[in-house]
Amino acid sequence: MVIGAGISGGTIARELSRYALRVAVLERASDIPYGASRANSSMIHGGFDDKPGTQKARFCPRGNKLYKTLHEELDFKYHNCGSYVCAIGPEEEKHLTMLLSYGKTNGVPGLEIVNGEILRGREPHASREITAALWSPTASIVNNFEASLAFIDNARTNGVDLFMETEVTGLLFDGIYGLDGIGRLDGIDKSKESKNGERARIRGVSTQRGDFTARVVVNAAGVNSDLISRMAGDDSFTIQPTRGEYFIFDKSVGDMVKSFFFSCPSDKGKGVTVARTADDNLLVGPSAVAQEDRENRDTTRLGLEEIFQGAVRLVPGIPRNMAITNFAGVRANSDKEDFYIKALDRPRGFINVAGIKSPGFTSAPAIALHVVDMMKESLGDLVKFEPNPKFVPERRHIPRFSELTMEEREHLAKTDPKWGQIVCRCESVTEAQVVEAIRRGARTVAGVKTWVRPGTGRCQGGFCAPRVVEILARELGVAPIEITRHGGDSYMLTGKTKERMPSERMPSERMPSRRQS
Amino acid sequence: MSAARQVDVAIIGAGPAGLAAGAAARNEGAERVVVFERDWEPGGILQQCIHPGFGLHTFGEELTGPEYAHRYLTRVREAGVEFSLNTMVFQMDKPVLKDGRKTVTFWTMQPERGIEQIEAKSLVLAMGCRERPAGALGVAGSRPSGVYTAGTAQRFVNMEGFMPGTKVVIMGTGDIGLIMARRMLLEGAEVVGVFEIMPWVSGLRRNIAQCLDDFGIPYYLNHSVCELRGRGRLEGVGVVEVGPDRQPIPGSDKFVTCDTLLLAVGLIPENELSRMAGIAIEPITGGPIVNEWMQTSEDCVFAAGNVVVVYDLVDFVSREGERAGKYAARYAMGRLENAKREFKIVPENNVRVVSPQTLTGEDDVTVYLRVGSPVESKCRLYAEPGLFSQRLRYARPGEMNEIKLSASQLKSLASDVTRITVGLEVL
Amino acid sequence: MSCVKKFLCVSCPVGCSLSVTVEGAEVLSVEGNTCPLGEKYARSEVANPVRTFTSTVRVNGGLLPLCPTRSKTPLPLSKVFDVAREVAQLTVDAPIEIGATLIKNVCGTGSDIVASRSLPRKHRDSRELENSA
Repeated sequence: MVIGAGISGGTIARELSRYALRVAVLERASDIPYGASRANSSMIHGGFDDKPGTQKARFCPRGNKLYKTLHEELDFKYHNCGSYVCAIGPEEEKHLTMLLSYGKTNGVPGLEIVNGEILRGREPHASREITAALWSPTASIVNNFEASLAFIDNARTNGVDLFMETEVTGLLFDGIYGLDGIGRLDGIDKSKESKNGERARIRGVSTQRGDFTARVVVNAAGVNSDLISRMAGDDSFTIQPTRGEYFIFDKSVGDMVKSFFFSCPSDKGKGVTVARTADDNLLVGPSAVAQEDRENRDTTRLGLEEIFQGAVRLVPGIPRNMAITNFAGVRANSDKEDFYIKALDRPRGFINVAGIKSPGFTSAPAIALHVVDMMKESLGDLVKFEPNPKFVPERRHIPRFSELTMEEREHLAKTDPKWGQIVCRCESVTEAQVVEAIRRGARTVAGVKTWVRPGTGRCQGGFCAPRVVEILARELGVAPIEITRHGGDSYMLTGKTKERMPSERMPSERMPSRRQS
Repeated sequence: MSAARQVDVAIIGAGPAGLAAGAAARNEGAERVVVFERDWEPGGILQQCIHPGFGLHTFGEELTGPEYAHRYLTRVREAGVEFSLNTMVFQMDKPVLKDGRKTVTFWTMQPERGIEQIEAKSLVLAMGCRERPAGALGVAGSRPSGVYTAGTAQRFVNMEGFMPGTKVVIMGTGDIGLIMARRMLLEGAEVVGVFEIMPWVSGLRRNIAQCLDDFGIPYYLNHSVCELRGRGRLEGVGVVEVGPDRQPIPGSDKFVTCDTLLLAVGLIPENELSRMAGIAIEPITGGPIVNEWMQTSEDCVFAAGNVVVVYDLVDFVSREGERAGKYAARYAMGRLENAKREFKIVPENNVRVVSPQTLTGEDDVTVYLRVGSPVESKCRLYAEPGLFSQRLRYARPGEMNEIKLSASQLKSLASDVTRITVGLEVL
Repeated sequence: MSCVKKFLCVSCPVGCSLSVTVEGAEVLSVEGNTCPLGEKYARSEVANPVRTFTSTVRVNGGLLPLCPTRSKTPLPLSKVFDVAREVAQLTVDAPIEIGATLIKNVCGTGSDIVASRSLPRKHRDSRELENSA
């Protein structure tokens, strides 16, 4: 049982699907990816900025290497763009020297410090102020939506069950403090535990949709992983939700940079980055705002201003009016310096994969291998690791119409007229792609967007939103008013026309009302 | 792939500009004139603009959008224009020389016929414009549902039969927003108010009168929607008053409860295909640079309507569409000589937008222009050297002005004159 | 006692600001208009403001679920909400011809509600035109 279908949960589930095990993934959101895996820099870090000896330093370069083959195996967009950490002035240059030595110790290949002239020779839009930059040729960028989906999608094909909109409310135990069955946040009687040496064992999880039994539970719940961990009695870490805000710019300015640009980090985080995304947009961000709220993914005027100023420090010419949208993600930072990956002694069968902060996306495939090794080593009595005879490592994404050759397009259009119906003009998305996304699990407008990109372009859904709502309703067999943007009460429409009569009273006197569902 | 289909004049988009271009191209004598339209019927955005106000210049009466489309379609069908409906043009090459003249090739997709390659002797771009989304304005906050451009809401309400919301705030005073304020109200929604960041209204003044004032809907100038709130559905918006520098006035923030935000914050010419074809785009208008023949930087490619510059009135779109169709037909038939001269029209003195941007001087022309900021007193519109002077009682960004120049005037200009300056002088 | 009323003319896109001097119900003078429509509008606005009303009606079996409609002639502004409610009640069957009268003398205003587009019948389940209309 894996809690959370982000990049951590997804990579672990896929790794587990190599074995003849019954694996289920529980995800509280309506769409994947939802949490930090949805809103991040989609960067595959080289692995030079983590202190040698940490788990981060261990998993990040390995993850980087794994992505090189994984993107082919699982068919998600990946671009080996390389990265520059840019230094402005001698103080920051010192930092580059430190990163270089970290990188060498961590085994990151090809690192090199170049001067500002060389940088600008390769990257003409880079600021004149930049005096030196650390070049990391193995750094890459992925489409993080596609990558997150790819692992889960492949895991499902190999027999993993995915339960969406399923929120864990408690854990089930066998053993001394599991007598009452459920250990809730503060429902664990520690005194009993200490009196009795018998080990408690995990028996499953309870959710708002009912109980699930499981011998092993992996906590990959991201921003809520500390809450889940506490249910198991481990309160040794606390998640420190950290909001990061981003701008996305139009594709027409995507080529202002070829590589991923980092600022020198400050105490606030890794600093603002500027990058060309795997889909050729320009990405600017993030800010780093520590907050109490685990759900607050709001952008703020000040935050956006801050990242924009940070970005033009590296690439002065970024035209603000070419921004097409902004968004924020909440990173599941913890109060620990490092990742917190640990199989608990008690209850047995509970594994924390928590505090997966940056470079978590990069590290995820390496962490997944490590987690499976941990299970083999210490939980072999609970689960047997026999190979899954039906395991297929390869998986194809839904064909991307915009990237097909004319012959391929023609062929598809002949097989199904829906391949001949463009739904999204900006990103050239066909109806067939939308239908296939829904078949593979998209349930909302945002879900369809995550899968096949309608609404990610410069019109931001102005043209395609009505079409996507219509197709979702048709394919799911529900009324258009049932369709939501991203689950919950994010309904797109409030009713049919002609249902409510206009009122003659002045607008301010009229009673607000809500959709009847 | 089968051989390319040959067309004399290809027109992309069956909105008012494309329809006008099609009819004009046929009437000029072109044989195979085909209009490619992505929707299942011609008419473009007119079909969802069910309000009156179209066609006073063209038909001498005020029609609704669908009526205007219907009238125009009658003309187009009589002219013998061919339609290819449900057809999306999704790729276009830069025009190449073929048999001594430029030809343009593009690809279309249609559910029944699949992909087709089209080769046209000349082409009219008539894709219209799209609406500016919220992201472009840097509106901060959450990402709830319930934020739509006014045109998307218009499509839902007028064509699909769905209400996008029950309690509406409108950002911007673009015409579609004002029209939708009235429309939503008459469909039983509550319209809380309209917020405009500029100190003036960007739509037509009569739409303030007949869409807002008639129904007691308030509007606020110098106000901007700066924040969205709500994690599922929109729960409200943060509104702030701005100073003369368009920056928020501290302490002026307030929260307005609503479940829907409609954006009427500007229209952008839709030029994806134009860029694919390597057409030069003018940064201010966002559309192709054209001369008075509506010819773009590629000789065989013409452009018409809101793809060139966002016009106020459909009548202007039709008129310029006809012009584009006429010259595109002449080009296709080998009857359009290269121009001997080229004048550049240079805006100055509060004139911001001008279209066309170049002139050959071979034909009479109406130059459309838009001022940057409103002048509410007597002023003089001019074109130098000595071509045009007209006194105006006011000039407003929301209302285009016209300068009519004749070919004989332009031909009489000294041979060293290559610039025509257009400006507005306050008297 | 005369007084001056201000209107913004909606007769055409120019949108002239009108100053109308009235005494009781009588219009003494109209200023600010740039064409005869302005004067006509001002007089009508003092006596009984009228507007062209547009909306949609529900359609059975049409290519679209709605058909746009308009009042054939302008009708009293004061009746707009009544007319809107009346129009909202109506459902018509496709096919519909442009100009077809859907409601005669709506709410006693003397104006008819007419279809402002033609709407063919829906052909099976697609949005194809029955015979390219």
